[in-house]
Amino acid sequence: MDKDLILLFLQQGIVSGMVVGSVYALLALSIVMIFKTSEVPNFAQGEIFMAAGYCALFLLVFQATPVWLAVPLTLVVAFAGAALFRRVVLTQVSRASGSPVNLVIATLGLSYVLKGLVRRTGFGDTPRSFPALVSTDGVMIGQASITRLDVAIFLTALAVMAFLFCLFAYTKVGRAMRAVGMNPKAARLMGVDLQRIHMLVWGLSAVVSAIAALLISPKILMTAEMGGIVTMAFAAAIVGGFTSLPGAVVGGFVIGIAENLVGLFISSRAIVVAPFVAIMLVLIVRPQGLFGGRVAIKKV
Amino acid sequence: MTVTKSTVLAAGLAAALLGTGPAAAQQEPGLTPTSIKIGMFAPLSGANMAYGFDVANAAKMYYDKINKEGGIHGRKIEVVLEDDRCNANDLVAAVKKLVEQDQVFILNGGSCSAAVVAAKEYVVRNKVPLVMLNASGDGALYPPTDYIFGAFSISQYAVGGAMIDFAAKTLGAKKIAYVNHDDAYGAWNLEGAKADAEASKVDLAVESVNPTINDVTAPFLKLRAANPDALLIVTYARPAALMIKKAAEMGFNKPIILSVTGTANLSQLMQNVGGPDALKNFYFQDVLADLPGGPKIKWVYDMYKQSYPDLAAKPDHPQAYMPYGIPSAMSIVKALQAAGPNPTREKVLDAMKTLNFDSGVMAGPVVFGPSERAANKATIFIKFDGTNQTLQPGVYSSRWKFKG
Repeated sequence: MDKDLILLFLQQGIVSGMVVGSVYALLALSIVMIFKTSEVPNFAQGEIFMAAGYCALFLLVFQATPVWLAVPLTLVVAFAGAALFRRVVLTQVSRASGSPVNLVIATLGLSYVLKGLVRRTGFGDTPRSFPALVSTDGVMIGQASITRLDVAIFLTALAVMAFLFCLFAYTKVGRAMRAVGMNPKAARLMGVDLQRIHMLVWGLSAVVSAIAALLISPKILMTAEMGGIVTMAFAAAIVGGFTSLPGAVVGGFVIGIAENLVGLFISSRAIVVAPFVAIMLVLIVRPQGLFGGRVAIKKV
Repeated sequence: MTVTKSTVLAAGLAAALLGTGPAAAQQEPGLTPTSIKIGMFAPLSGANMAYGFDVANAAKMYYDKINKEGGIHGRKIEVVLEDDRCNANDLVAAVKKLVEQDQVFILNGGSCSAAVVAAKEYVVRNKVPLVMLNASGDGALYPPTDYIFGAFSISQYAVGGAMIDFAAKTLGAKKIAYVNHDDAYGAWNLEGAKADAEASKVDLAVESVNPTINDVTAPFLKLRAANPDALLIVTYARPAALMIKKAAEMGFNKPIILSVTGTANLSQLMQNVGGPDALKNFYFQDVLADLPGGPKIKWVYDMYKQSYPDLAAKPDHPQAYMPYGIPSAMSIVKALQAAGPNPTREKVLDAMKTLNFDSGVMAGPVVFGPSERAANKATIFIKFDGTNQTLQPGVYSSRWKFKG
């Protein structure tokens, strides 16, 4: 491989990796948000992402709803659906057993229900293209070639991340969410309504996933299996430390770039294993993840 | 003269074997003096329905035609149809139900290779003839067994080889970029492609991708860096659409040739690649004798309209692979006819091994042999600009041979 090609691959790998990594980061954020407040890994996050994408597809393509209406409507549906699931299903499951394992199983159940629902509609029978909301004309960044859509994906993802940062840092509800994540009992003693906060976190997490779906769907083609992309988001969250929101963002970019560079410099076959190699390397060097806190040793 | 016990026993056995020929035939599962039960299975629902729903319909309408013409040696064909969803577990369950519960004489099913291969062990152990619908199913065909016949669409080994043949002969390609899946399916077509590349003295640059790949930037850039004369895509529809779209985004203007495995829905493909601009220099492989609906195979489409008027009125029907069901059903009918008025599974299997006929539907003849279980190895190529389809002259096949 000559020097020019190495330089081209390097630039393209990093730029393309940052675009797709920004979407992994959003999904990782939505996973970490829920995990921080309820210590439940949401295994339905990928299907929430998929179902939101199909909801938008249905509105935009099959109902010819204008974009200005279809996008907010999709976000509202995602928010309401996830918040209701938290309120109706998880609260009941939690009351019934109190074991976190049952909550995890409930999220797995949600994933199957959503996948089944999309398949029942018939829209998931064939790979479908989601209309790009931004032009797909080419843009050069150095030697790397991407599209205007890629630029829009990256910038929108950054804007959502900035919004979430401001929400958690400067708003009362955001601080309440953080408090619930740190110590739910103390938060309740301070007057925080735990039920409401849990619903808000689930709803917000679904909205972030829905935005990720709106951004990436024009690039990856839609199928009922597209939620599988959440594997990358889990990898990103683990690399970042699983409880750290900035860690989830950095993890997303690490996984996105690693995938591309491994594909370019090692083998296309190795793309699927790249995220897991990244997880192993990070966990060997920093078992708590890049942004995880100190490793706590519990005395038993 | 003394008559010993063993003489009586031998005489009795001989009488049983010689004197009850038709009765023995009647004891074959799924066979009565007036009917032959055929167990069919195909994806009738789910994400892979496009691969087999109408293929099964085509086979059924052919059996109906035979029944209307009087059946086979006076017996009417009775079809029992099960949904396999192109899923290995569902398919094996369907096969077991058809064999054990419905007691069918012969199996005719399988539209997805990976799923149908899962039934191989059961079918061979129970010595039930299995004639696939349109699955390539190479994993169940090679090494050959006495019981399984398939690849009526085309053998995967031949898919890759025929594409190389077309790119080299018609497009004059000397260096070819080749994308396939990183699974057994991909390995089979790559083996055929390598055999033909060597024979045609063509250089191959290969990238094998996971069928669930989301970002094809890396494999595409590596292939483009090889400076190929043509890009061959031998994947399912989704990775294929992603590659074609990426090629258009990156200004790749060399010929792109898509294998028959990725062409289930051409109008959807056009939308998925971002419109006709991505298809300016685009060809796809087909295994039919003519363009879909073309004069040579119009009778199949007419028969479909007549048999299923409600389905034919729906958009995207008949599905692209519909005609592939005909040669499969034809083979079973021909083997049953050759097996005579008292057929047994063994007689039908022997007849299958000698079939050599032109179905009038596929690009090449159906040819089986002592060690040949893949029916078709011939393909045609069609130029597609998003609206118009132009048949390219010639029939292309692979030079790959099973070496045991």
